[in-house]
Amino acid sequence: MLEFEHVFFSYEKEQPILTDVSFKIAPGEQLGLIGANGTGKSTILKILLGLLPCTGGVRVGGLPVEKACLPQIRRKLGYVLQDSDNQMFMPTVYEDMIFAPLNYGLSRTEADARVDETLQQLALTHLKRRHNHKMSGGEKRMAAIATILALRPEALLMDEPSIALDPCNRRRLIHILRALPLTKIIASHDLDLILETCDRVLLLSGGRIAADGPASELLRDRALLEAHRLELPLCLSGCPEGR
Amino acid sequence: MMNQASEAWSEFKAMDELAGQASVIHRLHPLVKLLVTIVYIAAAVSFPKYNLSGLLVMVLYPVFVFQASLIPIRTCFRKMRVVLPLVCAVGLFNPFFDRAPLFMLGGLAVSGGVVSMLSLMMKGIFSLMASFLLIATTPIESLCQALRQMHVPKILVTLLLLTYRYISVLLEELSVMLDAYHLRAPGQKGIHVSAWGAFLGQLLLRSMDRASALYESMQLRGWSGAFYYVRGGRLTVTSLLYGVFWIALFLLARLVNLSQLLGTLLV
Repeated sequence: MLEFEHVFFSYEKEQPILTDVSFKIAPGEQLGLIGANGTGKSTILKILLGLLPCTGGVRVGGLPVEKACLPQIRRKLGYVLQDSDNQMFMPTVYEDMIFAPLNYGLSRTEADARVDETLQQLALTHLKRRHNHKMSGGEKRMAAIATILALRPEALLMDEPSIALDPCNRRRLIHILRALPLTKIIASHDLDLILETCDRVLLLSGGRIAADGPASELLRDRALLEAHRLELPLCLSGCPEGR
Repeated sequence: MMNQASEAWSEFKAMDELAGQASVIHRLHPLVKLLVTIVYIAAAVSFPKYNLSGLLVMVLYPVFVFQASLIPIRTCFRKMRVVLPLVCAVGLFNPFFDRAPLFMLGGLAVSGGVVSMLSLMMKGIFSLMASFLLIATTPIESLCQALRQMHVPKILVTLLLLTYRYISVLLEELSVMLDAYHLRAPGQKGIHVSAWGAFLGQLLLRSMDRASALYESMQLRGWSGAFYYVRGGRLTVTSLLYGVFWIALFLLARLVNLSQLLGTLLV
């Protein structure tokens, strides 16, 4: 479904962000991207979406990430941004949700039905007519996810999805993510969320892939995590808050 | 206490809320509302400078729209409080230049300058009110759609839409930065002159960052400059009748002095 082949990327020549990164993601796979700050997690997501140019081969659903293929690629991928304020640019949740379906040629009736269906799926029907600037951080985050799911993407890319969520909303998000039968890439420092929602983990360090393996194994490896400035998920470290 | 940028941002968002209501006027086709506003402003400003009585009829349109759209008139004057004095000041010197008496009012000679000053003020206020009512009853996206239907170039319309959205981003960033500044500069009024350069530079960089993130978000959801997402795309009979009625009335008011006519019929 998604393929990175010997990808190099840098904002400045002296400081490479990604160095020879290669991996593949099969359809339906749920991948967690972890790593300390500045290791290139968000960069990988942006490269997949064609927002950043890189050297090397990147393919989405068999299509190369090139200008000519971007409309098709972006229709397949739903990207939930780190900051919901940047995601929600229309005055109300409804208008934001209907934006993508109408842009992709659905009729208003079809788009309306899709909005209602998505809101029901996420139990967010009460937010439909709310003004974006009057919602709390948590509500905005959930609404931002709804705007992306209304697009019916084949794969969901999420950048720090649990930021700004209270424990209850975070738990809801985890349930929603687990129930979604999509290919997912979740970049996060919330290792507990990664453990609960992903079956595979890529650990990034110094612009390279330091480890690639099942989440249940990799996230229990204290030595490996600590060597790359990370810690065990709270639920595995004996900390009661994480349970 | 909110800083000025926060207040401005809130007012900006309040306009979005006003435009999102569902009154009879809000439901009219945006192109009709835009055309009526353009004709209204053109008719109002084209009245001869001494034709105060003829101009008075033009007050009917804003009064009707305020009533039908359920927008309180004080909201309009509160939002226009900065521009209104400027508009009123335009004809302030007319009484000094044009002193010839035009008519007598209770034994008092009223000069042409006073009449033209009042006429200029009214034209300004009417035009501002009409513009306010247009944006308070029409979301910016619908307005852009109407402009496109008038064959205004796509690039200009896109520029207008993004500029409108960019203003709120700029205000939001400014508000955050002002709060951060004042928390570390207690008791200081405004921004110290030594920090102006850095402050403005940072504001520009931050708002550019946010604006490009917003633009990316739009692109990722299939936006290509076309306004598919606007409500009320079809022209209804009500909208059409509304447009024809008002445009006809404006033109009639411009050609015939309706106040005078009404006066001669009644007296």
